[in-house]
Amino acid sequence: MLNVTNVSKTFFPGTVNERKALIDVNLRLSPGDFVTVIGSNGAGKSTVLNTVAGRISQDEGVVALDGRDVSKLKEHQRAAQVGRVFQDPMAGTSPNLTIEENLSLADKRGRRRGLGLGVNRAKRERFAEALKVLELGLEDRLKTKVGLLSGGQRQALSLLMATFSQPKILLLDEHTAALDPQRAELVTRLTRKVVEEQGLTTLMVTHNMVQALEVGNRLIMMHEGRIILDVSEEEKSKLTPEDLLAEFGKIKGAALDDKTLLQ
Amino acid sequence: MITALELGLIYAIVALGVYLTFRILNFPDLTVDGSFTSGAATAAILIVNGVDPFLASGAAFVVGTLAGLVTGLLHTKGNINGLLAGILTMIGLYSINLRIMGGANIPLLGEDTTISLLRQFAGSGWSSVLVLVAVALVFKIIIDWFLHTDAGLALQATGDNEQMIRSFAVSTDRMKITGLMLSNGLVGLAGAVVAQHQGFADIGMGIGLILVGLASVIVGQAIFGTRVVIQATMAVVLGAVIYRLAIQLALNAGLNPNDMKLMSAILVIAALLLPQWDGFRKFAARRRRGRSALHAAAEATLTEDANINGKRVS
Ligand SMILES: Nc1ncnc2c1ncn2[C@@H]1O[C@H](COP(=O)(O)OP(=O)(O)OP(=O)(O)O)[C@@H](O)[C@H]1O
Ligand SMILES: [Mg+2]
Repeated sequence: MLNVTNVSKTFFPGTVNERKALIDVNLRLSPGDFVTVIGSNGAGKSTVLNTVAGRISQDEGVVALDGRDVSKLKEHQRAAQVGRVFQDPMAGTSPNLTIEENLSLADKRGRRRGLGLGVNRAKRERFAEALKVLELGLEDRLKTKVGLLSGGQRQALSLLMATFSQPKILLLDEHTAALDPQRAELVTRLTRKVVEEQGLTTLMVTHNMVQALEVGNRLIMMHEGRIILDVSEEEKSKLTPEDLLAEFGKIKGAALDDKTLLQ
Repeated sequence: MITALELGLIYAIVALGVYLTFRILNFPDLTVDGSFTSGAATAAILIVNGVDPFLASGAAFVVGTLAGLVTGLLHTKGNINGLLAGILTMIGLYSINLRIMGGANIPLLGEDTTISLLRQFAGSGWSSVLVLVAVALVFKIIIDWFLHTDAGLALQATGDNEQMIRSFAVSTDRMKITGLMLSNGLVGLAGAVVAQHQGFADIGMGIGLILVGLASVIVGQAIFGTRVVIQATMAVVLGAVIYRLAIQLALNAGLNPNDMKLMSAILVIAALLLPQWDGFRKFAARRRRGRSALHAAAEATLTEDANINGKRVS
């Protein structure tokens, strides 16, 4: 479904600020794969997602979606097939538009946006039905501006929107990191549910080792721009968070960053 | 008084155009100073050459959209800062407008114009004001409708959260260009009607127009609110009328028409500075506390968000 082949990316090449964010990365996802991505800060996790989505263009290598080379396509052109949820709960919705208007925007992903009404009665019923899955009562607040929702509510809505029109691939970048534990739990549960129901091919970045092991059918670890570990479902079920931490320690040979230790 | 009302209603179309760029797209577009005159020039030259005045006004709309297209392309494809892109088009249009008119001024006296037809049909009293009220409302309703279509929602989201709407497969470049074209089309059309109303087109008639538009939008929305689109556009229309009446009052009080640009500038500065002043904030907070607690909390969240996103200081 997703083929990342020999992709490299260097920021500010040839300057003192040069950063090799990705070094010859290869990644192959089969349809329905749900891959969790871990790694220390600056390992290149977000950069991988950004190159897949087209927000960042790689220096070398090929990104192919569903057998088609999309390397030359702009972000909005690829977006017809790519669903995204970001870490920042503000990032995935339009705050000055209402819940139903936001869903209408998501509903039209990849289709022509013409002069038909964005929301009508039939659509409103469909949106309300979809919102019920979130179990947050948002179906009764269709005309509320999204800017008035809490971070957790917004993130749940972002997830629903990102998966509303069945993308070929779903990219989640620490999408529960900014939420309190309960809300994070809720959004994680919703993520598993919707990914399973739609059989979505998913890449999920997380700093939470437990979550990385519990969720999905495959795990990769990144370090300094490379994928240094790729664990299948079977091996993954045997791993513990301690094993992962040990793995980190082995590679770095030095102290782990605080964020990882705290998990 | 009636003239001021009539002009206010015509300038309401300018204000709706400026609302689209300044509020919806978050883009202060200076093209309007040029495209207003382009619209006037186009309509005037066509009318003196015997073209139907409604057709001539339609042509002014089209010329306005072209001006918006140029600014939009400079900004999106050329990566030129939005303000500068607008200024570049505006300055370039000055020469183009002189070319269109073949001089600095085209008198329309004695020609058949949309306004002379209005006078035949409704005289020059309140009934013609009513006709213009209807015209302004039609434009308001068209904008309301457009902003609620799929394309219009994408336009709103482009000004609201550009990253997000791009991740839903919308070309934000295309949306910005569309918004700028529509906005300048409206402004060009308004320029055409203003020329027909005053009986001439003049090369300097667009100077400072952006301030007229901004003053109408800011003052109208400060008084009448912006909660939903239909309310915001109504506020903009009323703002244009109020602005024109205020100008009339200032003139009656003995100020010179040449002082009006300074007046507009001061009005816009006041509207922008007042909300930052502590006393005013306390006053607004007190007013807010008067309403229900929930309502207030909701508004607080909104302002907070607006700050976080660094936009929409409405
Ligand atoms: N847009 C950018 N411009 C310049 N440098 C960037 C950019 N994006 C990422 N980098 C650099 O690339 C490297 C990888 O960053 P990336 O954001 O992919 O890390 P990450 O694994 O997502 O880390 P984190 O866990 O902190 O989110 C970092 O050194 C970062 O500074
Ligand atoms: Mg990251």
